Formats: sequence, structure tokens, C-alpha cells
Amino acid sequence: MSKHTGQNIAFWIFRLLGLIVVGILLWILGFIIWNGIGVIDWEFLTEAPTDGMTGGGIFPAIVGTCCLILGSMIVAFPIGVMSAIYTTEYAGNGRVVRFIRIMTDNLGGIPSIIFGLFGMSLFVNTLGWGDSILAGSFTLGLLVLPLVIRTTEEALKAIPDSFRTGSLALGATKLQTIRRVVLPMAFPNIVTGLILSIGRVSGETAPILFTVAAYFLPKLPTGIFDQVMALPYHLYVIATSGTDLESARPIAYGTALVLIVIVLIMNILASILRRYFGKKVKTN
Amino acid sequence: MIQSKNIDFYYSDFHALKGISMEMEAHTVTAFIGPSGCGKSTFLRLFNRMNDLIPGTRLTGECIVDGRDIYARGVNVDELRKQVGMVFQKPNPFPKSIFENVAYGLRVNGVGDRKFIEQRVEESLAGAALWNEVKDKLKKSAFELSGGQQQRLCIARALAVKPSVLLMDEPASALDPISTSKIEELIHELKKDYTIVIVTHNMQQAARVSDKTGFFMLGDLVEFSDTKKMFLNPDKEQTQNYITGRFG
Repeated sequence: MSKHTGQNIAFWIFRLLGLIVVGILLWILGFIIWNGIGVIDWEFLTEAPTDGMTGGGIFPAIVGTCCLILGSMIVAFPIGVMSAIYTTEYAGNGRVVRFIRIMTDNLGGIPSIIFGLFGMSLFVNTLGWGDSILAGSFTLGLLVLPLVIRTTEEALKAIPDSFRTGSLALGATKLQTIRRVVLPMAFPNIVTGLILSIGRVSGETAPILFTVAAYFLPKLPTGIFDQVMALPYHLYVIATSGTDLESARPIAYGTALVLIVIVLIMNILASILRRYFGKKVKTN
Repeated sequence: MIQSKNIDFYYSDFHALKGISMEMEAHTVTAFIGPSGCGKSTFLRLFNRMNDLIPGTRLTGECIVDGRDIYARGVNVDELRKQVGMVFQKPNPFPKSIFENVAYGLRVNGVGDRKFIEQRVEESLAGAALWNEVKDKLKKSAFELSGGQQQRLCIARALAVKPSVLLMDEPASALDPISTSKIEELIHELKKDYTIVIVTHNMQQAARVSDKTGFFMLGDLVEFSDTKKMFLNPDKEQTQNYITGRFG
């Protein structure tokens, strides 16, 4: 077999595998859309479930998931971005930093159900927040913290040092350099971390199971100490433990579709932001 | 005036500068030449304490800028860097507009008066011989400028905070010949108001722009004298060999 044929075969194998990945994704999407699109209408999106969750809509769960996305980002982002600034810009590469890095990676490897149990024990019981948006947001926030830290670190490391030295050489302090030069340049990539975190948060079931999610709660939350329904948990409930699983099946697909669309909208929003800020800081 | 007294400098175990003493007078241009790794850039970066950013370095001796030992206890490094500006080898404008690049040094030093900033930006750009080329596009990104223009923008940026000394680390080595000659003309102009120290790989450039030249090798200052003398009739054989291209 000639070198050239070998290369061609390898190329086709790689291409095939690439296409398979895309194919699987499209298959899942198609499957959900095919089965779920039928139940989606205005009523489904704006009303509470009825008839033992075999009818009505999923509005409270949509609102709940949005609250949790927002809440967990408010928790995770400031902490995550600031610790990443500390580890990349200030701490050098000593033992403490390596320890922090290893611990961050370990935190990222902990199964999400453990976060759920931890959140229940600390936020719900010890701190006495009860099953609430606050407890759920903190639990989800902790869950995505390693992701936020890692992506922010990578974003900061990608900025060439020449920009930092240029700023310092003009008499700027380190903090001014970070705030005025490094962070604006790293922002598009930090937003990428935001996208990934939102995707992760909106799909998680285990961490909210014991900390916030309600089985059935048709009224909307009025404050951060209220419980809410959430899409992934709702999906789990109507797929496994409803009153009439068969007749709730289309609603389950509809819920899945809405969840996917919410994540998609967040991604599109984030990439618009990313492009907008990316244009402002484009380097040569 | 800048002065160094018995400077020894180490990168961890590596002895990078060995007992360097020299004086650079105000309103002159001093050039440092020598083969790669000879310590000339390290020596230059001592005067705005840029070497502080590298972990594991150590210094003995005195560095005196305008009568003050800049490594003495209690010296404010940010203030020092305002007084001693620097231009780097590769142009490194910020991803901001042309205007904001020049205004940056003022803003980080707490200047907020818009009129004052506008005036200083114009002065600085004019001082860097760039004003006529950019006056109609101050709001455009600095990255739209050519490499040579970017380097002059970096010079303008340094001038905006009114330093007394300007350090230049191979400022033209990434530029084409026409841009290079513009930078060299500019150095002649700037000499009236600033004390300039320039590191260069290009010996013709050192001969063209400088009043005095220091030749470094392996961390030693081999010879330091008037540029004319250095290039026509050097004292040391090593200098002669380097200048005539026998090594380096």
C-alpha cells in the first residue's frame, strides 16, 4: 500500500468519525423536535401543569430554570473570575497555586449528586435557607465554579505579556493593568466560559433535587427564599413518577425541547456578546 | 542624568551583569551594542525596574536616576516608571483607539480633565511625529496603523506622561527601513527634551543616532566612549573585532 493510499484511508476515517459525531447530535435533536414540537403552543409555554401533570404547560419550570441560571451565575462568576485572576496574575507558580489548581480540578470531578447532598446539608439545613432559589443557586454555583475558574484562567493566559509590560511601563499598577488592559482583552473568552456554565447549570438535576426543585408548584416565586420548579427535574418527574406516564410522554418531549431551546438562546446571546466585544479588542 | 555604580545582576545563578559602572548625561543619546545575550537589554531594563517582574533576580550596586537611587527602600516603582519611559522591541499598542492609547498613561495616573488630556495627546503625537498622519482618525483602532506608525504611537504613549528618560529596547528591529529611518530622525528630535538610552543590534544605527556607545560582552562593559571614537578608533581589540564584524 503506498504512502498516499494510507493517507487517504486515514483521512476518510477521520472524516467519517467527524460526521458520525454530527450525525448523533442531529439525530438526538431531530428525535426531540419530532416528538416534542406537537405539544408546543402558547398555552404550553405560559401556563402551569394541570391534570396531574398530564396537561397544561410548563411555565413555572421555565421561570424556575431561568431564576437558577441567573442565581448560580451571580454566585459563580465573581468568585470564579476573581480566583482565576489571583492564580494567573498574582500568585506566580508556587506550591500554593499548584495546590489550588489541583483542588479546583478535583472539585470539577466530584459527581453532581454530592454537590446536591452538600448543598442540602450546608445551605438548606445548617444555614437554614430551606429549599429555596438561594440554596439551589449556591449549590449550582459551586458546581460550575471549577469550569468558570479554568476557562477564565485560560482566557487570561492567552493575553500576551507584552500588553502587561506595556501598561506597567507607563506607571500603571498591576490592578489597573488587569482592569484596563487584560480583562477587556480576555472578556470574549471569559464569556465562552459563561456559555459553557449556563449549559451545564440548566441541565443539572441532581444538585437541585434536595435544594430547590419542587415536584409541583403552579405559582411563581416571589423571592429568593421560595422554591421553584425546574425544567430538568420536571422532565425527570413526568418521565418516571407522574400519575399517568403514557399520557404525559408528549409533555416530556416538549419539556426537553424547551430546555434545549433555552440553552440555545443563551448560547446565541453569548456569542453575540462575544462577537461584539471581540471586535472591540481585536489584535493584529 | 543616569548613573550606575558597580552593578552586578543575577538571574538565579546566572551572573548576567558584572560590575557595570557608567554615566549617561542628560539630553544625550547612549547606545548599547553587543552580541545577543551580552546583558545590554538586562542593563537597560534596570532603569525602570522592569526586571522586577522576573522572579529569582538579584541586584547589587546602585542605579541612580536624577540623583536618586531607584532601588532604595521606599521608592515608588509606578512613579519611577512615569519618570523613565520605555519603548519595546515589538510595537505593543493596546487594543484601544489611537487616542486612548496615548491617553492611557494619563488616565492610570488619575488625570480626568478632558481638555488637558486632549491637549497632551496632541502634543505627544506631534512629539512622536505621528500627529499629521493620524489627526483625522484618532478614534480608529491602533491596530489599523502600520508597524512603524504603531511604534511611533508607542513612543507618543510614553511621552504623554512626561518622562525625563526614554529607554528604547531595539525599537526599530521589527520595522522596515523607511520606518526605521523615521524612528531614527525622531530620536534626534527627542534628544532635546529627553535623555535617551537605546539598545540596538544594528551598529550603523548606533553610529547614526548616538552620542556615546557602550559595548557589552558576556555581562561585561568592554568599552564605553564617544560614538565617533568607538567606531573609528576603539581602545580594545574585542570592540574592533565586533564592530568590523569578525564575530557577533
